[in-house]
Amino acid sequence: MLRTLLLLVLVLPVAGAVLAGLLRPAAIRAAAVAASFLAACLAGWAVAAVHPGSYEVHLGSLPWLPGGGGQGIFGFLLDPLASVLLLVATGIGFLTVLFSTQYLTEKNRDHAVAAGSQGRYYFWLLTFLASMVGLATAPNFLQFFLFWELTTLCSWALISFYRSEESLRAGFKAMLLTHSGGVFFLLALLVLFTSTGSFGFDALARLDPGPRGWVFFFLMVAAWAKAAQVPFHTWLPDAMAAPTPVSAYLHAASMVKAGVFLMARAVAGVWDVPAPWGAVLAVMALVTMLVALSFYFVQDDLKRLLAYSTIAHLGYVLLGVALGALGSEVGFRGGVLHILCHGFGKATLFLSVGAVAYVTGTRSIRSLGGVARSMPLTAAAFFVGLLAVTGIPPFAGFWSKFMILAGALQLPAPLGPAILVLVLGESLVAFGWMLHVGQKVFFGLRTPAAQVNSDPPPAMSGALLVLMAGCLLAPLLGIPLVRLLGG
Amino acid sequence: MSTVVLLLSAAATLLVGAVLSLAVAHRRHGAGWVAVAAMGGAAVLAWVVVLRTFSAGPDPAVTLLGVPGLGAGLTLAVDGLSAVFLAIAATIGVLTTLFAVEYLDRYPSDSVAKYYPLLLLLFVGIVGVVSTQDLFFFLVFWELMTVTSYFLVVFEGESRAAHQAGLKYFVMNQAATLGMVAAALVLWREGGSFHFETLRPALERLLVREPWLGHGVLLLFFVGFATKAGILPMGAWLPHAYPAAPTSATAAFAGAMSKLGIYGLVRVFLTLVPVSSAMTAWGWVIALAGTASLFVGTLTALKQDDAKRLMSFHVVGQVGYMFLGVGVGLVLLPSNPWLGSLAVSAGIFHLLNNALYKTALFLGAGAVHTRTGTRSLNAMGGLGPLMPWTAGAALVGSLAIAGVPPLNGFASKWLLYATGILGGRGSPLLVILVLVAMFISLVTLASFLKYYGSAFLGPPAENRASGGGADGPPGGRPAPAPSRGRPPMGDVGPLLLLPQGVLTAGCVLVGLFPWVPLGAIQEGVVGVLAQVDPYGAAGGIPPESLGSHPALGLALGEAGLALWAPLPAALALGLFALLVYFGLQRAAGAEVRQVPVWVCGEEEDPAALRYGSGSFYLPFKHAFRGVYPTVRVQPPPFPSPLRRALNPDRWLYLPLAGWVVRVSRAVARTHVGVPQVYLLWIVLGAAAVVAVVLLSFG
Amino acid sequence: MNASWGNLLLALVNAALVLLLSPLVEGLLRKGKAFVHSRRGPPIFQPYLDLFKLLGKEDLRTSNDLFYRAAPSLSLASVLLLAALVPMGAAPPLGFAGDIVVVIYVAAMSAVLLILVAYGSGSPYAFVGGSREMMVLLAVEPVVAVTLVVGAMKSGSLATAGILEWNAAHGPAISMILAGVALFLALQAQAGKLPFDIPEAEQEVMGGPLVEQSGPRLALLRWTLWAKQLVFAFLLVELFFPWPRTGWWIVDLPLALVKVLLVLALVALVDVVNPRLRVDQAMGYFGRVAVSSLAALAFAVIGM
Repeated sequence: MLRTLLLLVLVLPVAGAVLAGLLRPAAIRAAAVAASFLAACLAGWAVAAVHPGSYEVHLGSLPWLPGGGGQGIFGFLLDPLASVLLLVATGIGFLTVLFSTQYLTEKNRDHAVAAGSQGRYYFWLLTFLASMVGLATAPNFLQFFLFWELTTLCSWALISFYRSEESLRAGFKAMLLTHSGGVFFLLALLVLFTSTGSFGFDALARLDPGPRGWVFFFLMVAAWAKAAQVPFHTWLPDAMAAPTPVSAYLHAASMVKAGVFLMARAVAGVWDVPAPWGAVLAVMALVTMLVALSFYFVQDDLKRLLAYSTIAHLGYVLLGVALGALGSEVGFRGGVLHILCHGFGKATLFLSVGAVAYVTGTRSIRSLGGVARSMPLTAAAFFVGLLAVTGIPPFAGFWSKFMILAGALQLPAPLGPAILVLVLGESLVAFGWMLHVGQKVFFGLRTPAAQVNSDPPPAMSGALLVLMAGCLLAPLLGIPLVRLLGG
Repeated sequence: MSTVVLLLSAAATLLVGAVLSLAVAHRRHGAGWVAVAAMGGAAVLAWVVVLRTFSAGPDPAVTLLGVPGLGAGLTLAVDGLSAVFLAIAATIGVLTTLFAVEYLDRYPSDSVAKYYPLLLLLFVGIVGVVSTQDLFFFLVFWELMTVTSYFLVVFEGESRAAHQAGLKYFVMNQAATLGMVAAALVLWREGGSFHFETLRPALERLLVREPWLGHGVLLLFFVGFATKAGILPMGAWLPHAYPAAPTSATAAFAGAMSKLGIYGLVRVFLTLVPVSSAMTAWGWVIALAGTASLFVGTLTALKQDDAKRLMSFHVVGQVGYMFLGVGVGLVLLPSNPWLGSLAVSAGIFHLLNNALYKTALFLGAGAVHTRTGTRSLNAMGGLGPLMPWTAGAALVGSLAIAGVPPLNGFASKWLLYATGILGGRGSPLLVILVLVAMFISLVTLASFLKYYGSAFLGPPAENRASGGGADGPPGGRPAPAPSRGRPPMGDVGPLLLLPQGVLTAGCVLVGLFPWVPLGAIQEGVVGVLAQVDPYGAAGGIPPESLGSHPALGLALGEAGLALWAPLPAALALGLFALLVYFGLQRAAGAEVRQVPVWVCGEEEDPAALRYGSGSFYLPFKHAFRGVYPTVRVQPPPFPSPLRRALNPDRWLYLPLAGWVVRVSRAVARTHVGVPQVYLLWIVLGAAAVVAVVLLSFG
Repeated sequence: MNASWGNLLLALVNAALVLLLSPLVEGLLRKGKAFVHSRRGPPIFQPYLDLFKLLGKEDLRTSNDLFYRAAPSLSLASVLLLAALVPMGAAPPLGFAGDIVVVIYVAAMSAVLLILVAYGSGSPYAFVGGSREMMVLLAVEPVVAVTLVVGAMKSGSLATAGILEWNAAHGPAISMILAGVALFLALQAQAGKLPFDIPEAEQEVMGGPLVEQSGPRLALLRWTLWAKQLVFAFLLVELFFPWPRTGWWIVDLPLALVKVLLVLALVALVDVVNPRLRVDQAMGYFGRVAVSSLAALAFAVIGM
């Protein structure tokens, strides 16, 4: 029963992707929405059915792989950790598809899209959705790696979707950087397999401390590249050349989360990471947060600003995971919860920026002003997303950030208090700047660019409304899940 | 019904009201009435809670919603202290919402969808803050207040000043809240839970074991609450944000929201800090901060010519009195619990009084604003005969805030001074603080006489705006009611007057019967103390700690160390006034004649001879010109080398890619399409392989 | 309640006393000033005649609002209330209703009403005068507050009767004497005498707050001022120089009255020999007085 459910969650988007290649544009949209909607519903059902336990099934094996015969090459593992990412991937995936149905049309003043190229778009988007499902529910590192590379591929295709010079370059850059991280993942897999004969998450624990540290480090590099952490952070802002729904979904809510999810998996697999590596992860997360913050102030493109904010918030998740590696369960839970909370918050922000661009034709902070007057719903969505991302209670981000901070304080001085102070400082400055930008864009006198009539069409508005609710309710969903995490 | 059920119904009423008012937001007045109904319903429920709490004692706390793994839970309980604030917030909420219904017509281009729902949510936050016993949820509700009030500050869509003020407000308060989050976390690490009951021993341990950390926690709480309450310099946002918000919202902020800074202060410093030298030390900090704030805030207020800005600075000043009261109380509690508890009560009583008169004054300023379209006192004048009811309310409010007996502002100031002076026998510095407060009370008087005098008295200012006295009536004649370019003058409608009237009546009634609210407050304070320290501090407070004089007044101590009986005093004053009026002033039946103002026989337009609000008290203002320095903070420039270093694209990836491209170009150059050349490569390659093999194995 | 009705009656007696005596005292002061000037001066009962005449004269008003009409009566009433709060040879009849804090605030009421009357009249001169009145009040009131608080610090009670009893019983203390001197300096301004008659300053602003007052209104406002100087003089001598104290009302009252006249004679002397100060000079002067009077507070703290 659960196996069927999970298979359906994986297969439905694939089927949708295949159909997207075959049908007429109008039918493509319907198929894509239906496939992603069903996948999201079934995923929710599966998570609810498994809760609070976990479910693991192996479906195939590789007889030629020594030692790998017993364990599946393919299967599903639905534990609380996987549930979090599965819900984000399918839920926000559906909303993104819904949003895209009206965003990617000729009516888009920012970037009109001909009906003919939609097949390509939905094919890649749904393939990506499927690969995220596969990645989230992967029972071992091998399956994880396969879907990981698949998401990289989809990301490349989607970033380059407009086929402009800029987007082609950006796609290529993203591909190169994330894939070079993937090489380290492969390296980690090799070390792991040759030492233990297994790809399982628990195999990490069977390694000697020395190699374990190295595997952990390789995985860390892979995660940094995927999650656009310092020093690989440069691809993400350029990837904003993608259509906005793609940015919202891939580059804020899910694909980049795959990187941090990998680290969460690795830490949850061992709970005994050599402390220096844990500290490296934490320090790099802090460095990333501050570096990303330093780029806020020079951005004029709303999406680039959000991209840097995403980088910083992936840093938050990694920080939480690192706290887990250093021995704080609360911090780890907070980090994982932040995957969910930030996913909703940042998707809301991106999609509302998308709505602004759709209606006004620009994303430039300088040329926008007074948008709220004609687009109240979009403005509301932006501010809700902003408050959720920057962690203002009662919105989602607060709960996860609070747990991360609580975890930080569980560490001994000076690391714990230092993290606390830095995180609080980053929070405040980031919040202040985002609010400033929000005011500039949405309040005040209307600029010429903002002389428009109304909020975006219903599908986009609907997606925004659901996301706004998510920004408020995500902790209700997430806290029961993350409380089950722990060594 | 239990307290919790009532509270939840109140919150639910507010939430339903928020949704409904959002749904009907296209009908401005409809949405307003929905909000009034919701606020009214919630206020009734809140008052039921208050009355139950004072008649039957507080209900036990109930935990509704736990956050597993954090030791936080939504624990609701209303004790005497909470009840006082709940009552104030409920009352102010209803009145200011009622005022808003018509007042918001001033903003035709701003939808009320961004007013009423947020206002109702703000009050959800307020109810939550005063009734939760858990620091985590306290902070959650605290921020709910900040968020919603921010959007009320920036309500006026096209006002740049409002947006700047809103940004300042939100960021400063957010900084303060983050500090409190850190403090809460430190206590949580120590105690393992956010419940107030576990925080107390945690803080006590911390103060003993790591004093600087314990005091750091208290400092963060102090800064957090002082920021919200508007204590300078943390409250520097207040004089910007209050004038920027619509007046109905400003009144709600002044009357209810920022008062919760005091609530938090009392809650934390009275119930969490052990009754010890630490309490005394923080009492001094609070008292000194309060005195500094009332000094600077009020003296700065004196210089303002914008009605709302003037009042906003007075908010800063008045909050200083409350801080002073609470601080004096904390200083005295360890040594003299009786006086200490009374001083804390005095601070809270002043808060209640301030909620009454300051809200009335803000609403009055709003009413004037709707009629004249200006907030500048220089551009007003002579509104008294045109808006008699508003003028009357403003007069009572002005006298009340200045502490003219027997109005309510005097009652709380009296108690504050009395406790300070009596307590000052042990700590003389307290007396100095009290003397400063007395002096500032006069400055408040001066400031509000200026406000009342320049807005409601004197000749109207309008003629000057319309081109001097050329077309005005010949000199000396009082100018007729202005009509050009303005709505027809006359007092505002009953909807705008009713809240002012109720609040003004409250000022008078509380002034005449101060022991009713004061008794409740004292009961709340003593109750809280008895809960946390039943044998120490609370043991030293006599059960009838506030001597209620047989002749209807207040007396401190059995021997009557300090005395204030408003009823006999008012009675005597009234009697004397009647006797003097009928026995002397009218006794000889002197004729009365209305005459124009005499200006030495010169024929001048009265408006041209107005004494502008900027002219009042010039030498005095000059003497205190430097008390409120303006500081501009510039962020340091970001060093550009660092900017380059942070972008590895420029020094790593792009050069690397360029290098790869160059190398591949170089390799590509070998691809020439001539078979002979390829053959040569093959031969060379084979030779190299052979050489390697020979060298390795040979 | 019975006690307080009786006290109210006594308060009426106090009030009547002040009301009747204050013009006489003013007449004596005028005579004294004339003596210094080597003039003959007006008859001692001239103030009564002035008041009597003014009460019957036509009342010219520039405003007709209710508060404006009632303000002069309220102003005089507030001073009469003050009279009932201040000991005059006996315990104050309304002593149970107010302590020194109440005295300070009630004492300011008449000034507040005067300023409101001034602003209400609409005359620019009155505005200037009212503004000056407020500034003088701002300068003087802290001095009054400091001195009274010194009394409270010494006696441990804020009640006027308590301070009086303590001072009479425990004899002169340095702090109390210093405070008394400071209060005397403040009295000069409270009584509106030179060099502090800045608000009225006939030569500059033509009576300032009073410029538009006439007939009965002017009479009451004048009366207020005279009554106030008398009550303040009583406050000074009773709280700070109560000796000798017999405890018999019939002896103490005349004694106090004599002391009051002495004090007021000094006030008149200062008035005669000084030119008017500017308001900023006056504020600076009282600022210094207030700070110096803190010395009295310091003495009180160390128990002297």
